[in-house]
Amino acid sequence: MRRPPRTAQLVAALISAVAVAVLTLCTVLFLRSYRAAIVESARTNSAQAVSQVVGSVGNYVHTLDSAVAIVQEQLQEDAAPRDAFLGAFLTARPEVAAITVYDADGSLLNCWAQDGRTPKADILRNLSFDLTTAQRLSGGYISTPHVESIFTGYYPWVVSIVRPVPDNAAARWLSVDLSFTELAATISNVGIGQHGYCYLMDERGNMVYHPQQQLLYAGLKKEEAGRLACLGDGTYVADTVIYSVQRVPNSPWRVVGVSYIDETVNESFWQMVRIAVATAALIFVAALAVGWVLSRLLSRPLQQLENAMEAFEQDADHFVFCAVRGTREVQNLSDSFGHMVGRIQRLMTTVREEEIDLRKTELKALQAQINPHFLYNTLDSIAWMCERGKNADAVQMVHALARLFRISISRGHELIPIEKELQHAEAYLQIQKYRYKNQFTYHFTVDEGCLHCLCNKITLQPIIENAIVHGLDLMVDAGHIEITVRPDGGDILLIVADDGIGMEPEQVAALLQNEPSDRTGIGVKNVNDRLRIYFGPGYGLSITSAPYEGTTVTIRTPRVPEDREGEYDKNH
Amino acid sequence: MTRIIKSLLPAALAVLLAGCSMQVTDRNTARYRVALVAKSEDAEFWKAVIVGAEAAATEYNMQLTVSAPDNEENYDEQNRLIEKAVEDGAQAIVFSAIDYEANAAAIDAAAAAGVTIIGIDSAVHSDHVAAYIGADNYGAGQMAAQSALDGTEGTLCVGLINYEVNGANGRDREQGARDTLAESGRAEIIDAVSTHPDSQSAYRDALTMLRAHPEINVLIALNETTAVGAAQAVEQLHRTDDLWLAAFDSNIQTLDALQSGAADALVIQNTYGMGYFGVESAFKLLAGQGSSVEKSSITTTRIITRDNMFAMDKQKALFPFG
Repeated sequence: MRRPPRTAQLVAALISAVAVAVLTLCTVLFLRSYRAAIVESARTNSAQAVSQVVGSVGNYVHTLDSAVAIVQEQLQEDAAPRDAFLGAFLTARPEVAAITVYDADGSLLNCWAQDGRTPKADILRNLSFDLTTAQRLSGGYISTPHVESIFTGYYPWVVSIVRPVPDNAAARWLSVDLSFTELAATISNVGIGQHGYCYLMDERGNMVYHPQQQLLYAGLKKEEAGRLACLGDGTYVADTVIYSVQRVPNSPWRVVGVSYIDETVNESFWQMVRIAVATAALIFVAALAVGWVLSRLLSRPLQQLENAMEAFEQDADHFVFCAVRGTREVQNLSDSFGHMVGRIQRLMTTVREEEIDLRKTELKALQAQINPHFLYNTLDSIAWMCERGKNADAVQMVHALARLFRISISRGHELIPIEKELQHAEAYLQIQKYRYKNQFTYHFTVDEGCLHCLCNKITLQPIIENAIVHGLDLMVDAGHIEITVRPDGGDILLIVADDGIGMEPEQVAALLQNEPSDRTGIGVKNVNDRLRIYFGPGYGLSITSAPYEGTTVTIRTPRVPEDREGEYDKNH
Repeated sequence: MTRIIKSLLPAALAVLLAGCSMQVTDRNTARYRVALVAKSEDAEFWKAVIVGAEAAATEYNMQLTVSAPDNEENYDEQNRLIEKAVEDGAQAIVFSAIDYEANAAAIDAAAAAGVTIIGIDSAVHSDHVAAYIGADNYGAGQMAAQSALDGTEGTLCVGLINYEVNGANGRDREQGARDTLAESGRAEIIDAVSTHPDSQSAYRDALTMLRAHPEINVLIALNETTAVGAAQAVEQLHRTDDLWLAAFDSNIQTLDALQSGAADALVIQNTYGMGYFGVESAFKLLAGQGSSVEKSSITTTRIITRDNMFAMDKQKALFPFG
């Protein structure tokens, strides 16, 4: 199973995720409304710009109309003042390329042009006047842009304003050819947004003036004029382009404003994205920092607690708990854990002590018991001695028995001086020697300095009993038991060596592990256990034995001077 | 955790910096500098090219400088102008070669200096031309010859007036005209002259030719200046009605001549487009959009006669606006 992630990572990830989600949502929502606002303002801008152009063009058309009206009037004057007026008119209005008049058949009657130009004699085709159109639209018309085609070496692009000439027999039609300089100035300088522009078209969608007319003429650019001509005035949004169309009053012309949404919106979009990315990065850094802080405050103390618990699990006895510092929750947890550790350790100590007590009680009960066989055999021997009149021997036996019991009881003390223990052992050996009819000898080698030190009572007797019963009893020859007491560093060694038949290693192990089964009494194992319970695991028995060579049992006991008995025996 | 933070921190900072730096990138891009080295600044043809180039430079926000030798034969000065453009820091040169061979070394040198070369109108003998924009001159020559075949009955006695013998354009046009005439089987080339690219020389040479060979009933003038001279000669000799003059390019004189009958057909090139596309290609190549630039693109040519010169689409092609 995958391990669950650490708190800090989780927190950082959560904060980042939530932040990114919120940011994305905000960005999207903002951009939507922003785009709508931008489009709306772009529409307004476009419409305003177009209105301005319409105003200017309208003004221009209006003044032009008045001018044409004046020219119409002047045509009824005599030739001299008329020519003078028109000459001045052309000077005042340099954008008027030519003024031409035609008769009812459409033949050119007269022409006034800039710089005194005269039309060529043989005009291939006059584009300034179209008789059919003039006849159809009796009120006059404004032509689409065309090249001025009546002069030699002069071919400006113009539009022709054609008007009927009232009450004049000779001239029937008037045509004023208008170059684009004035319109260009009005329209070219109007920009909408960064790349937006305006152009002028007529009702049918023919281009009248475009800031990039030559690009259109060269086929390098296309406009949607034809499609827009079908629509009424207003503002139209197509994809990323805003078209604003408005009619120029009193003229067949319409102004179209073209502007692009995407440039402004995209700019803002990327601006937003940049801000969002920067914010996301900031939040990410902040999330990492928060994660780090949380890890300091929470994860790390928890980790320490976890380690402490593990250590406690491994070795509850020697575990020393150090309080973990952190936030209040952590400290509460740490305190609780500390309490728990203390409680468990106390409980463990109590249990262990109770166990030891129980064991000691058990052992005491055992010590108090006299092997009934031993007592019966001894009493039987004494009775036999009395019958045989061996009174002295009987007395000695009774004394030895009495001494044995007295030391066994020893007023309830667990620890007795080694001297007493040796007397106890000797009393036992005397009794057994009678009983075994001097089948063995024994000898004590005792360091005098050890005599007044204390040892557990009835320590030697079970060992000696074992040596007699298992080592010497089966021998044919007389055996020997050597009992040595000597100091060894801070300890005292009590050594019982026999030269009996010895034991196999399995027997040695069994001796230290098994309770005596057939008899009551203390037994070798209990001696060992008692020493360990009283003095610790460094003390107790060690047995070396080889078959047919004998057994040596070494008892290691601490040197306990008589006046320090209480330190070991206070619980009893 | 600390380790993770340490490894992620640079990444986070990088994102932060990237977020901030994005603001700067797309602004303040220096305007590209482009030099247009033309053959002439006076001819109507080149004026239109320059207007087109300027329109493209405005459209793409580029800095355009225009230069041309004072004489359409002066390739030495053209070479110097190329060197000067490189010295002035032009990143691209839009170039029309007076001499197919003699301009090659200067163009190679400019290309070696890291300048992007775009050829327009007349090719140059160099492998370093990134894009070429020009008319199909051979096809244009054929067009001129075909108009003469269409407009003249009977046998055609043809006189050719060519220019700049070393220029690729004149050579190709002449070849196209010769091939079409030969194919027709009813045309004979009486005379062919190569004149200097000014109308006076062309006028003199055409006059000489027509006087020497009065049987000539078709004259083909292979560029703007020769067309002007040839039209003047035709007018001078009152041959406007019985002689078919097919000429190249348009200017005010040839437009007058076309209306008066001195000239009968004009082969018109998209000069404005040539200048526009030349500068546009320069921008695309410099801006790394080179994949959208054709190695060689052909601009349209069309034939214009007296009958259709005032049709709206022909008006738009013939007469520059503004």
